Amino acid sequence: MRKIVLGILTVLLMAGCVSLDCPVNNTVFCVYKLQKPDGSPDTLGVDTLKVWSPRVDGKDTVLVNRLCGSKATNFNVQVSHTQPMDLICLGLVDTLGIEWLDTIRIYKTNSPHFESVDCKPTYFHTLTEVSNTNTIIDTVIINKKEIDYDTSTAHILLRLKVRY
Amino acid sequence: MTHQQLTSCFVLRCVISLLLLVLIVPAANGQKQFREEKDSIPFLRGFAVSFDLVGPITLMLSDHGEYEGALRINLHDQWFPTFEMGIGRANHENDAVTKLTYKTTAPYFRIGMDWNVMKNKHLSNRIFAGFRYAFTAFKVDITSKNLEDPVYKTKTDYGIEGMSCSQHWLEAVFGIDAQIYGPMHLGWNIRYLRRLVHKEGEIGEAWYVPGFGINGKDNFVANFNIIIDI
Repeated sequence: MRKIVLGILTVLLMAGCVSLDCPVNNTVFCVYKLQKPDGSPDTLGVDTLKVWSPRVDGKDTVLVNRLCGSKATNFNVQVSHTQPMDLICLGLVDTLGIEWLDTIRIYKTNSPHFESVDCKPTYFHTLTEVSNTNTIIDTVIINKKEIDYDTSTAHILLRLKVRY
Repeated sequence: MTHQQLTSCFVLRCVISLLLLVLIVPAANGQKQFREEKDSIPFLRGFAVSFDLVGPITLMLSDHGEYEGALRINLHDQWFPTFEMGIGRANHENDAVTKLTYKTTAPYFRIGMDWNVMKNKHLSNRIFAGFRYAFTAFKVDITSKNLEDPVYKTKTDYGIEGMSCSQHWLEAVFGIDAQIYGPMHLGWNIRYLRRLVHKEGEIGEAWYVPGFGINGKDNFVANFNIIIDI
């Protein structure tokens, strides 16, 4: 009888525990992968990249600040919740201090996503179209349309012009 | 004592031993051949209705819970086919951290069987083990007013109203039932719930499932029942 009571108490204690099952990676990022015009991997090397976006309040928000180095092969940019189009501004500063400015427009659909009342509400997206200016950008290609918590695959291939 | 007297005494002992053997062996065989009396308890012993107290208390103290009742058939004090029905409700309003509101109210149904596992089945107190198959279909409102985009600072109304979901699950039940007075019994049971099939909503899985509790692959719940024999 004592064993049964102990067993029941253990079960009740386990049932009384609260667990939050929010995903660890709970931010929705669009992953940009740097490539050369021929599609081979590129790095920023000695150049420095800054990415920002204008906000509805008229101020800019910095999304990536001073990314540089030979290991800089990709970067993540947060996607807006409900805007039909995100305007991404890129500033690439070369070793001579010259800044090359470009913009990318990302058109997307937005779907609310729910995990639990304990997890922050968020939106998943589907990329429909991209367009860009061509100061330092060669081409922009959609690689994966669905944007969610998964950042293991690049969503956009960002092919930069040849730099010296 | 002469040799003849010794012989007579030996013969007498043998005769008595044989007589005892003849008398005792049939008696022993008679014990083995004892037949059990036929059980005079009828097969259909009656019905019982029960109401759970844990669900309403949970509903009073938290943002979700159930009102639940059951009808149980007593077959020979051993098998108890059971039908359970309840209404599950969740009203999680404006979460302090996530600002989410989650609302649902829906019925759920269970059908199954309990077995009285006590050695003497005809006592008024019982120990049960059993199973249930359960099902619910429900609609959920998940909303958040003026959700602010942390980066782009836009504000939008997030969520969905009337998101359709459904779920099937199995339950393993263990419990006791004790007679208090006349037809009134009190009993508790603990249940292990295992999700079988579920239908996700358009924007994700349901957080609370009526009758199942907080959603997941499995769950533990406990009930405390007032049972009345009818």
